[in-house]
Amino acid sequence: MSLVEIKDLKVHYPIRSGFWNRVTDSVKAVDGITFNIEAGETYGLVGESGSGKSTTGKSVVGLEKVTSGSILYNGKDITKADNRRKLDYNRDVQMIFQDSLSSLNPRKRIEDIIAEPLRNFEHLSKDDEKLRVLQLLNIVGLDADALYKYPHQFSGGQRQRIGVARAVATNPKLIIADEPVSALDLSVQAQVLNFMKKIQREFGISYLFISHDLGVVRHMCNNIAIMNRGRLVEIGTREDIYNHPLHIYTKRLLAAIPETNVNQRAAHRASRLAVEKIYEDQQSKYYDEDGMAYPLVQVSPTHSVALPETIAKQLASQEGEVQA
Amino acid sequence: MAENFEQHSDISAADLARLNQEAQAEATPSTAKIIWNEFKADKPAMAALIIVVGFIVFVMIGALFINTPKMMETNIMDYFDKPFTDGFWLGADSGGRSVAKQLIVGSRNSIGIAIGLTIISSTFGIAWGLVSGYFSGYIDWGMQRVYDFMMMLPMTMMIIVLVTIIPHYNSVSLTFIFSIFYWEGTSRLIRSRTLAETQKDYVAASKTSGTNHWKIIFKEIMPNISSLIIVDCTLSFAENIGVETGLSYLGFGLPNQTPSLGTMIANANDPSNITLYWWTWLPAALEIVVLCLSISYIGQVLRRAADSSQRQGAAD
Repeated sequence: MSLVEIKDLKVHYPIRSGFWNRVTDSVKAVDGITFNIEAGETYGLVGESGSGKSTTGKSVVGLEKVTSGSILYNGKDITKADNRRKLDYNRDVQMIFQDSLSSLNPRKRIEDIIAEPLRNFEHLSKDDEKLRVLQLLNIVGLDADALYKYPHQFSGGQRQRIGVARAVATNPKLIIADEPVSALDLSVQAQVLNFMKKIQREFGISYLFISHDLGVVRHMCNNIAIMNRGRLVEIGTREDIYNHPLHIYTKRLLAAIPETNVNQRAAHRASRLAVEKIYEDQQSKYYDEDGMAYPLVQVSPTHSVALPETIAKQLASQEGEVQA
Repeated sequence: MAENFEQHSDISAADLARLNQEAQAEATPSTAKIIWNEFKADKPAMAALIIVVGFIVFVMIGALFINTPKMMETNIMDYFDKPFTDGFWLGADSGGRSVAKQLIVGSRNSIGIAIGLTIISSTFGIAWGLVSGYFSGYIDWGMQRVYDFMMMLPMTMMIIVLVTIIPHYNSVSLTFIFSIFYWEGTSRLIRSRTLAETQKDYVAASKTSGTNHWKIIFKEIMPNISSLIIVDCTLSFAENIGVETGLSYLGFGLPNQTPSLGTMIANANDPSNITLYWWTWLPAALEIVVLCLSISYIGQVLRRAADSSQRQGAAD
């Protein structure tokens, strides 16, 4: 059984308008997505901004009110606040936020920040708690003198590591990492990502890794889901997504990865333009008449794509993929 | 589970004392220390602090040694005595009563009411604003309609009516009557900041850390809007001195035989008092000006202390 099973998750926000301020329409931030996260793996959720990936992450951790669908953890539906409380759910599922500065309370010392989940879930003695905080700081590579400082005294990378330390404090099973490195510069990105990987190896944590940076996702994730306009357009292993992308949206994202090899600049530009041309010309083939993605169709045991069945089969054979 | 952390970190219980000491040496100074440094760096504010604290302590203690009913007895022989005659440092008023003694007792009454009013109305206003802004939705809607209703009532008229229909009122009951009407401004201000603050990630992080709503409101969000709260409290303290003074001046504040800054300033109603007998009203007026200015100076220092980018004090 998977660690977390997300079934047909929908998060809609009402749009109110008119004289009576009635609900006239809704923004479909997340519109029926289904996937499973296995224990110990890193699951990548990729998409452009506004595609609903952060909303999905917040729903899984219990910060967002879900419109319909279910999220099963240990067979319990944790979209209900009651079940979350009974399970001590957030002891097992934690979150790392994108903006390290705003996710740490500027008025609290580092000790109090990292100890917050410990105080709520573990009720350790004062000395044990301090020891645990020191160990956590040590694990993320910070010295003991950080203990009584405030968040603004640290650099972005250090702050994000403090965020990681807080998330692993209660030894959770799953951590939602909502673009954990997108606010950091490249050298620090690698540092934080390596700490995250190290922690995963040592504690056997699963990550739901939300990002728009496909380079980072390739480094981190075994399984990847691509999200577009609140729906999943493609699910597959790293291999499937990077080597055999089927949906035009995935291809566009892949074409957008910056290439540092200047000798091939022209070739790269040409391939980007080619993908863009296909997207312009064949939108009707890849999206339904409302501009939404189709339901997912399986093309191989690990690979699904949101296309009408015939087109999916045809594209899959073109890509030379093993048929399901 | 603890073993899990032991395994992957080379820190054990044996190191705790040493590391704690190291951390303590590097610790950032406490808030009280920062505020004190800020006062030391700003001489006028230090003077203002000494004036306000010294004056409040002086009138609170001084008033204990004055027999008010005896002081308020009319003595026609001392009619408008000039300052420094007949043992009156600040002269006497039309009833031959000592202005200096009235000033001490009056300041005690006015400042006492202002402090009480600030504490009650700000506490209530802050709590109302925080809860309303944090929960939003139906709770916010309901609480804001109560606020609207209170704002709609004509405040001064309501206070005057209440003062008239309550048979035996004194400074305590007057404070409570004022408190009913003076929490609204604070609550709206606090609510608007809370609405913005609630959206920040550290609130979400606290929720995922399993902290309950009340702890988040009062221990996470409130410290973060403390600069706003401090400034609002100091300003409303200065304003509240004016509230009591104003109503007493109009004759609806404290009862006649209880001196206050307002009743003393009311002496200036008479044109001959303004020109000839200036000592009857000038000390009280000057006192209010000096107090309010000093308080706002102190408020500025507190605000700077709360915001690290504005600090002028030594780093530690």
